[in-house]
Amino acid sequence: MKDGRTKDKHVDAVIEVAGLSKTFGSVAALDDVSLSVQKGSVLGLLGHNGAGKTTLVNILSTLLRPSRGRARVAGFDVVGDGVEVRRRIGLTGQYAAVDETLSGRDNLILIARLLGAGRAEAAARADELLEIFQLSDAARRRAKTYSGGMRRRLDLAASLVGRPDVLFLDEPTTGLDPVARRGLWQVVERLVKDGATVLLTTQYLDEADYLADSITVLAKGRIVASGTAEELKGRAGSRNVSVTLRTDEAVLRTTEVLRRSGLDPAPDDEDGLVLIVPVHDSTEIATVVRATDEAGADIAGLAYAEPTLDDVYMALNHSSAVR
Amino acid sequence: MSTVTEQAAEGRPAIDEPGPAAPRYQGSGILRQISVLSGRSLRVLRDPAMVLPGVLEPILMLTVFSQVFKSVSQTSAFPPGVSYIDFLLPAFLVTSAVSAGLKSGVALTTEMNNGIIARFRSMPIHTGSVLVGRSIADTALAGVNMLALLVAGALVFGFDPAGGFLGAAGCLAIAMALSWSLGWVFMAMSAWLRRPEALQPIGGILNLVLLFASNAFVPVEGLPGWLRTFASVNPMSQAITAARDLSMGEVDAGTLLAPLGICAVIVAITAPLAIRSFRRSA
Ligand SMILES: Nc1ncnc2c1ncn2[C@@H]1O[C@H](COP(=O)(O)OP(=O)(O)OP(=O)(O)O)[C@@H](O)[C@H]1O
Ligand SMILES: [Mg+2]
Repeated sequence: MKDGRTKDKHVDAVIEVAGLSKTFGSVAALDDVSLSVQKGSVLGLLGHNGAGKTTLVNILSTLLRPSRGRARVAGFDVVGDGVEVRRRIGLTGQYAAVDETLSGRDNLILIARLLGAGRAEAAARADELLEIFQLSDAARRRAKTYSGGMRRRLDLAASLVGRPDVLFLDEPTTGLDPVARRGLWQVVERLVKDGATVLLTTQYLDEADYLADSITVLAKGRIVASGTAEELKGRAGSRNVSVTLRTDEAVLRTTEVLRRSGLDPAPDDEDGLVLIVPVHDSTEIATVVRATDEAGADIAGLAYAEPTLDDVYMALNHSSAVR
Repeated sequence: MSTVTEQAAEGRPAIDEPGPAAPRYQGSGILRQISVLSGRSLRVLRDPAMVLPGVLEPILMLTVFSQVFKSVSQTSAFPPGVSYIDFLLPAFLVTSAVSAGLKSGVALTTEMNNGIIARFRSMPIHTGSVLVGRSIADTALAGVNMLALLVAGALVFGFDPAGGFLGAAGCLAIAMALSWSLGWVFMAMSAWLRRPEALQPIGGILNLVLLFASNAFVPVEGLPGWLRTFASVNPMSQAITAARDLSMGEVDAGTLLAPLGICAVIVAITAPLAIRSFRRSA
């Protein structure tokens, strides 16, 4: 271990942020933010425009100095040990950072050479990454001619050249088509499986839901919620089974049976033939089905829905806007 | 997350082989950084579409100026026995250094805004390498353009300085030194202003003042009083006078060393400023 690297109780916290604030003039871009990310996990940072996501990423990747507070990445202070931090991170900023006058391949070779790779080694690494990001066909074309999605992929490839321990992705899939998004998600999953730690900002809730082990929601520079996707969903309310029946009478009978089994069904506001049954988990779908059977009711439709992160997000932003 | 990882895990090649099989790169020294980064900027030389405008523009300007101002060589203030092209071309070389320097600054602001500089700043390399690399590349590119101007001058316009080949080489050295030092001035300004649209007008005005309030196109003696005073202290006039003397064959060590020294002093002051404000800006 080198100087300045501490091995304390948070051995596995690769990103540690404590009381971090950043002001630009009178704007508080970040206000007393604290969080930590465990080794090999993905933190999803959610927030609207101007929430402070990019500011946090920039501080953690040593591009910006915090106004107050502390942040450590891979065990090194982002202010005092910037060089050590930069040795271990990869950054894919919000806007693609490639040299447009160079080909995709030359961009990657440039980065590898700057990191210390020899010529042949750099070329091999470049080809390997081009292959992974399906840019081999366009490898020798100037980056200026790339589409937005290709440029984004090249940018991500560039941040992986040095095999970073910690990866910062600032809205990595903005502007990508659904197929490219999926592809990028898989790359991120793969990296995490190989031991990388990822902090990812996004405005897409499904993206955080899909990729992140834990989620932090920022609004106006402050953390308004954090937890796993499950925990956040728990806050937004219960899971529901909605069952559609054929007659009003069947609705009444089924309601009765369900009450007896300890559930609390309520007719849907819009359709009187639909019963909404809040449940604890998906195993209670069976209870609902058995209840209709017992009531001798014919099922016309059955659906089970988890609350989406959107529900959570809307609720949180509503309450923070009121505050 | 868990289900997803399982599904993605099957059958795809590993992106990164962790452990000793794929060691992290060991980082590069400052000299390597500078050579890689200047090599990056010099790659435009491979692309004729990027090189030609830079070469053609001064030649075009030379054509215009040599025709428009030809009559100056008939005035009394003009040194006798000197052709106008021999008078004009050394000055032209020196003035092209201003636009070359400005180009450095503008290119830097552009890259600061398009993100590539942010990428470099998030990497374990010295911030100064980025600027030094650009400085070297841009000075070399300016040298290529100036050489083209000299060759065109000799072949097309009959540039035939009394100082001969050595004199012309001296002119080139002065002009390149000036473009090197002005490049740092403009990079310092761009690291501070950070926006090309802010740098352009300031650079344009500076360019205009340095150029026209100098002895570049007419002898100082031919200018009105107040302008003459300014023109004779204008550092550009100094460099131009030196370049002219060299091409006329009036060569001594002092003629060459004085402007080079001034350029070195300018760099010694502006380079640290540029690197410092570049490091701070984000
Ligand atoms: N360099 C700066 N100078 C002044 N204000 C800034 C600067 N950078 C960010 N801000 C302000 O700080 C706040 C947070 O900005 P930030 O870019 O971190 O938001 P974000 O969450 O990344 O937004 P987006 O989703 O739009 O990218 C905003 O109000 C922004 O205007
Ligand atoms: Mg942002």
